[in-house]
Amino acid sequence: MTQMIEVLLSGMTQGAVYCVIAIGLSLVYGASRILNFAHGSLYTLGGYIAWFFVVGHYTLPLWLGILASIPILALSGVAIERVIIRPLRASENWKINTIMVTLGLAFVIENGLQLVFGPGTKTIQPFTEGVLTLGGITLSWYKIYIFAISLGLVAALEVFLTHSRYGQAVRAVSQDMQGAKQVGINVNQVFGLAFALSVVLTGIAGILLAPVFLISPLGGWGPFLKAFVIVVLGGLGSTKGAFVAAFILGVLEAYIVFFLGPNWAMPAWLVMLIVVLMIRPKGLFGVWEN
Amino acid sequence: MTDRTKYTPTSTISSVFTGKGFLRDSLLFWAAVAGLAALGGLVGDSYFRHVFILVFIWCIVIASWDLILGYAGIFNYAQLVFFAVGAYSAAMLSIYAEITPLLSIACAGVIGAVVGALVGLPSLRLKGEYVALFTFAVHLALPPIIQQGKAIGMGGKTGLLGVPWLNLFGFQVSTIDKLTWFWVSLAFGSVCVYLIYFLVLRGRMGLAFIAMRDAGTFAQAIGVNESKYKLLAFVVSAVFTAIAGGIYAHYTSVVTPKILGTEFFLMAMVMLAVGGMGRFPGAILGVFIVVIGNELLRSFDDYRLLFLGIAVVVVVIFFPAGLIGVLDRRKPRLGKR
Repeated sequence: MTQMIEVLLSGMTQGAVYCVIAIGLSLVYGASRILNFAHGSLYTLGGYIAWFFVVGHYTLPLWLGILASIPILALSGVAIERVIIRPLRASENWKINTIMVTLGLAFVIENGLQLVFGPGTKTIQPFTEGVLTLGGITLSWYKIYIFAISLGLVAALEVFLTHSRYGQAVRAVSQDMQGAKQVGINVNQVFGLAFALSVVLTGIAGILLAPVFLISPLGGWGPFLKAFVIVVLGGLGSTKGAFVAAFILGVLEAYIVFFLGPNWAMPAWLVMLIVVLMIRPKGLFGVWEN
Repeated sequence: MTDRTKYTPTSTISSVFTGKGFLRDSLLFWAAVAGLAALGGLVGDSYFRHVFILVFIWCIVIASWDLILGYAGIFNYAQLVFFAVGAYSAAMLSIYAEITPLLSIACAGVIGAVVGALVGLPSLRLKGEYVALFTFAVHLALPPIIQQGKAIGMGGKTGLLGVPWLNLFGFQVSTIDKLTWFWVSLAFGSVCVYLIYFLVLRGRMGLAFIAMRDAGTFAQAIGVNESKYKLLAFVVSAVFTAIAGGIYAHYTSVVTPKILGTEFFLMAMVMLAVGGMGRFPGAILGVFIVVIGNELLRSFDDYRLLFLGIAVVVVVIFFPAGLIGVLDRRKPRLGKR
């Protein structure tokens, strides 16, 4: 019984991090209608940048490593939008072109990381090795920290989107790009902002999970697929939906891994995706977009 | 309403596709094939033949991918899944059931059709980039499944070794017999590519695909059964790709999950991007350029994959229509998406 509860709690922790990745993905998709296939590699990139600061080159504490990574991640997001996405947005086949180009970018990042850091796995020490024991249930303090940081990020983003001027501009562009242009919103700037936020979110998620899973150059596809399933289940553009979906699916995954083994995680997510699409293509809370 | 002759009869519309230049293009195609066949006989270098055998096998895969992605406009990224299914079915049927290789390749095509339909069915409910993601997820989920399939003889990580050689009218064609393999793969490749580009895509089905891609709602309004033709696109594309997988399995006599690795996927993407989609013979030219270019890059092995990735990004940004778009700027594309 205690083991079941431990699995539940660990699933919830992972769900919280998946939620951060998923919100990053849906932020860009909502604003620009571009599905960023490099989202998972950017998650990996975050892990490697933090590793560079914390283990590889400097020996900063992890929290400082996260802070140092944020500007680099934000700049990468802006650069991706400016250099790769913007020239394609005006083209007639922008949909297929952006899929091709972001997939290509994913492979560039992966192979670049593999060249720079080598194909082996890397790991980062967590903030603390401590363990919390409560009524026979053990939970590492680090997982509690991850949980709190992830929830904090989600809440901060929600406040930013609803209350700040720039956040409202992002939401305006998501809802109606033409209308947003007409009231004088600089759409290019908004896309840049959305990409920067998205990369920062997924990058931080990559750093937070680095001590739990190992970092490897090809490790981003799993989180990417999971984020997508969460976005679909939660409903597009719905933070609340992504939040609920992330917990449901995170816990489900934890139990599947516990009972069947880690090799079944990816096929299980695929099955979940198919089931969601068959039963409720709109998502839990969202309005289905074509 | 009274003057019905004013409307263009359907036959004239379709004849633009099947009729105009059909004979000329076919003759050109088979002349090129004959030229390649002669080239294989004249150049005795076995490495040269090996590279071209790979080119011919890739041609089938890329032509099928072009059919579904370029012509039907369905963002299918599970093409190598069909290839792997074909390779594994042919290998397993010939190893365990001891079916003669040519028959096993045919069976691979049938199994490919089933898998194509299985991947296609959920995709019918999805639109655009969601199809891309779903199909790519299938691609990503397959290697762990193959891993689990070790129990039923799928060989796990090391793959299946010792796939029987091709048996051609009583003659064993070993992997080392490059000349026979050159002609066999050329025969398979040219027939499949001809069927795809000249029969399927110039016929009724191709018209339906292009109509769906360019004006989905309108195509439905004039009676194109969207579900049927989308499913057909998946099945037809999967059958040819699975056949290519079967040929590949018997040629290399080894099948590993490497088929689903980054290298194969990147190669396929670069071929389509470099050649240009939805415009014969763009994709086929792409195959020749990329396979040969990849062999020339062998000495930079560490940077090869990075280079292929950069090639995709750069080509898509600067030449979105690929080589074929650069070559014939005059003609409008067969319809834009």
